[in-house]
Amino acid sequence: MAHLTKIYSIKARDYLRAGEVSMQVQSLLKSIGFAQETIRRVSICAYEAEMNVVMHGGDGRMTVEINTDGICLDVKDEGPGIEDISLALQEGYSTASEEAREMGFGAGMGLPNIQKNSDSLEIVSEKEKGTEVKIGFKA
Amino acid sequence: MVDQGLSSLHYVQIDEKRCTGCVLCMKACPTKAIRVPDLKVAKIVGTCIDCGECIRACPQGAVKAITTGSDPSKLSRYTIISASPVLYAQFGEEVMPNEVLLALRRSFKYVYDQAYIHELYNVAVELHVKENRGKEGAIRPLISPVCPVVNRLISYRFPSLLKHVIPIITPREIAARELKRRLYCEKVFDTSEFGVYHITPCSAKMVSIKDPLFLKSSYLDGALGINEVFELVKRNLRDLEEDMMLHRSSGVGIGWGVSGGEIAGMEEGNYLAVSGLQETIHYLEKIEMGLFSDIEYFEFRACLEGCIGGPLTVADRYQAKRTVAKFVRMFGQEKRLKYAQAQKAYREGWFYSESRQGSPNRTDQRLSLSEAIEREERIEKIFRTLPGKKCGLCGSPDCRTFAEDVVDGMASVDRCVLMRRC
Repeated sequence: MAHLTKIYSIKARDYLRAGEVSMQVQSLLKSIGFAQETIRRVSICAYEAEMNVVMHGGDGRMTVEINTDGICLDVKDEGPGIEDISLALQEGYSTASEEAREMGFGAGMGLPNIQKNSDSLEIVSEKEKGTEVKIGFKA
Repeated sequence: MVDQGLSSLHYVQIDEKRCTGCVLCMKACPTKAIRVPDLKVAKIVGTCIDCGECIRACPQGAVKAITTGSDPSKLSRYTIISASPVLYAQFGEEVMPNEVLLALRRSFKYVYDQAYIHELYNVAVELHVKENRGKEGAIRPLISPVCPVVNRLISYRFPSLLKHVIPIITPREIAARELKRRLYCEKVFDTSEFGVYHITPCSAKMVSIKDPLFLKSSYLDGALGINEVFELVKRNLRDLEEDMMLHRSSGVGIGWGVSGGEIAGMEEGNYLAVSGLQETIHYLEKIEMGLFSDIEYFEFRACLEGCIGGPLTVADRYQAKRTVAKFVRMFGQEKRLKYAQAQKAYREGWFYSESRQGSPNRTDQRLSLSEAIEREERIEKIFRTLPGKKCGLCGSPDCRTFAEDVVDGMASVDRCVLMRRC
């Protein structure tokens, strides 16, 4: 079966380049020719997940897996981990730093937005070790 | 990129005799539509959005925008002119808009100050944005339909954002529609053999007239470049004696020539003006990621600094900007229209475009999803072996596009000069 994997690295606290990875993912999906609505949903989730790593995580990477069934974003970082995942999924809940908030981020909409725009969401997190977020979309 | 099948119609052409194959136009093209096979002559092979970046980039003057003015024999017997206010800013600060209109009047049958319509349009957008405000599930941000290059860019690269473009007819089309209606009803001419032509700084106006995205057909009959009428106006200005008031607009309408001019004419709200093609692409990418939903309305202009930076202008964009600023001060920010009347026209649907097609002649994707993924895999594989220098010597604009061309059978890998060297 046709299958494509691409890995992008994300740097923590690099606000200048933040969003760059999601743009590359967006253009990859356009190049393949996915449906507009799929591209829109994946773009939103990729951006939110990337920003989570930039804001909270240590360095991380985003793995994009594409096949005819759909798209999977696997975003993994070496950050502080999420203490209470169900709390983090609530709209408006945020532990973003002062720095991030000053730049207009940290509204507490990241994970809720991902949940709203994806078909499946799986979060594995361990304190002081890091977080892995798997986001799935049907083609 | 797989050709998404936007209409192949375009009005930017490369003169093969003048082209030296220097690759500058290919590098400047935002849709990567240009190739220079064997570094001989540049050719437009992909989707052209008529932005004119190649016209600016070409040191030989080999790239031209085709307009109605390129072949004046095509003009109607009676020519009605509706001029973009950018024209007013081409002759320095001392020449007033009315003088420019009078100078045009000497050579054309009827001349109309289109800038006045801009004030009406502002009211329509204001009301549309207000209706959108606080509505459940409303589309945000809304996007201005005024710049034809931005419309084509959205249609080609960001089709999911087409629904953000507001369904209001642009001022140039409203002007043409109303002119025709009036001149026809009032039987001003003894014949119906007249055409309305737009004088424009923009290389994409022709395509927007011949193949409009948001109208079934354009009300305009053609376009003339500012560069094509510049000498004529200058000549006519020399011994101007006529004394007639053709200029009706306030500074609001004239200010449209500069980026930010459109939203400056609107009541307070959360609006943003962005100009320049690269900046616009950047913002559209972010809007597609769900950002900027707090902004109510975006004014995008593909040309840097706005329409005064259009490829068919004559005056330097920064001097023209200064001239526009002077006129805006001079003619004031007070609109000259009757607000209640504009509001009534809006309620009656006067401003709404009847068609929301947005993507002409769009053909279906030729590849299946599985084929497309396989194509992407092959592109990746070739791309990884390329030097990544974006030199353009292979005849494609960058390594990624070259890899696509190789996979699509348009180029052979051994065209890469750097790989041959190693």
